[in-house]
Amino acid sequence: MARRKGLVINDRQLDRCDDLLQKLKDVSGSSFLALISTSGQPITTASDEYHPETLSLASLAASSFAATQQLAKILDENEFTLLFHEGKGLNLHVSQVTDQVLLIVTFGHATQVGKVRLYTQRAIEVLRQIFEGPDDETMPEMDADFEAAAGTAMDDLFKDM
Amino acid sequence: MPLINFAAREINYKIVYYGCGLCGKTTNLQYIHRKINPDARGKLVSIATEEERTLYFDFLPLTLGTVKGMQTRFHLYTVPGQSYYNASRKLVLQGVDGVIFVADSQITRLDENVESYLNLWDNLLGQGDDLSKLGFVIQMNKRDLTDIFSVEDLNELLNHTDSPVAESSAVTGEGVFETLKVVCKQVIAKTG
Repeated sequence: MARRKGLVINDRQLDRCDDLLQKLKDVSGSSFLALISTSGQPITTASDEYHPETLSLASLAASSFAATQQLAKILDENEFTLLFHEGKGLNLHVSQVTDQVLLIVTFGHATQVGKVRLYTQRAIEVLRQIFEGPDDETMPEMDADFEAAAGTAMDDLFKDM
Repeated sequence: MPLINFAAREINYKIVYYGCGLCGKTTNLQYIHRKINPDARGKLVSIATEEERTLYFDFLPLTLGTVKGMQTRFHLYTVPGQSYYNASRKLVLQGVDGVIFVADSQITRLDENVESYLNLWDNLLGQGDDLSKLGFVIQMNKRDLTDIFSVEDLNELLNHTDSPVAESSAVTGEGVFETLKVVCKQVIAKTG
């Protein structure tokens, strides 16, 4: 019981993730990459021109991936570690980084699936170290007044509703 | 278990609307989507059957704005209410910070309400969450109809945790934002 660990990301982790996603985008020829949490929340993205609606994409990709994991269980397979959709103009590749993090890669037909899979797999090994390895940086703490300020913001947002 | 991204100065909370089929979960989200400032919300995504029954979930992101330097968001989800979609409900509950249990106040829906309520706690316990960290509100919906339970009776039947209760009519919007505000404040207080 008592499993309620949140996912907290610090500056150093995000910088390393951003660098890695940018490199992965360049070497694999992909158009858009996103790290998201398994509960469907975006962490960071890398893209030049193509900008899908990230919040909906993260929610749908995480749910779809979770459903795929359940399909694996029903089929007595240990796990399906990636989800791949092939479209006419665009392909979507979702793979697991850690228990709490997924990597989304979209790419067109200017590159090859094998190339994307190869570089993505290598990137995941590094990403896993970023999220699971020891990190010397002390995690910042939430502002002590956050709760009160959020309450005021909510009162403002929902007033007259 | 919110996602706190200190580097990007973002915090995201996940709120799930739970309850039996046709109790008004999707109607809550549709009302919020319709009424709230468009700048404060994203797209309403619904994975539904041809008969507009929720097949997997509805999703609506809300942005509270920047609070103490943190971009604060609530991601609102519904679950499919029909009993045979339990596998999907479990998936939607993953990583949840707060639950709004939408109870159908009609006397004829008692069995469905109780079944869904027990199913919620089964699923939460099954995923091993520390429930003391979870925001929880019971929304007694359809208060505008006749042949409904009194608030006291529904409270006794469905509120073993003595959680906050809100009365509503999601069709007219009464009580919809009040319910949401209670659970949002709870999750912030409980998870920081």
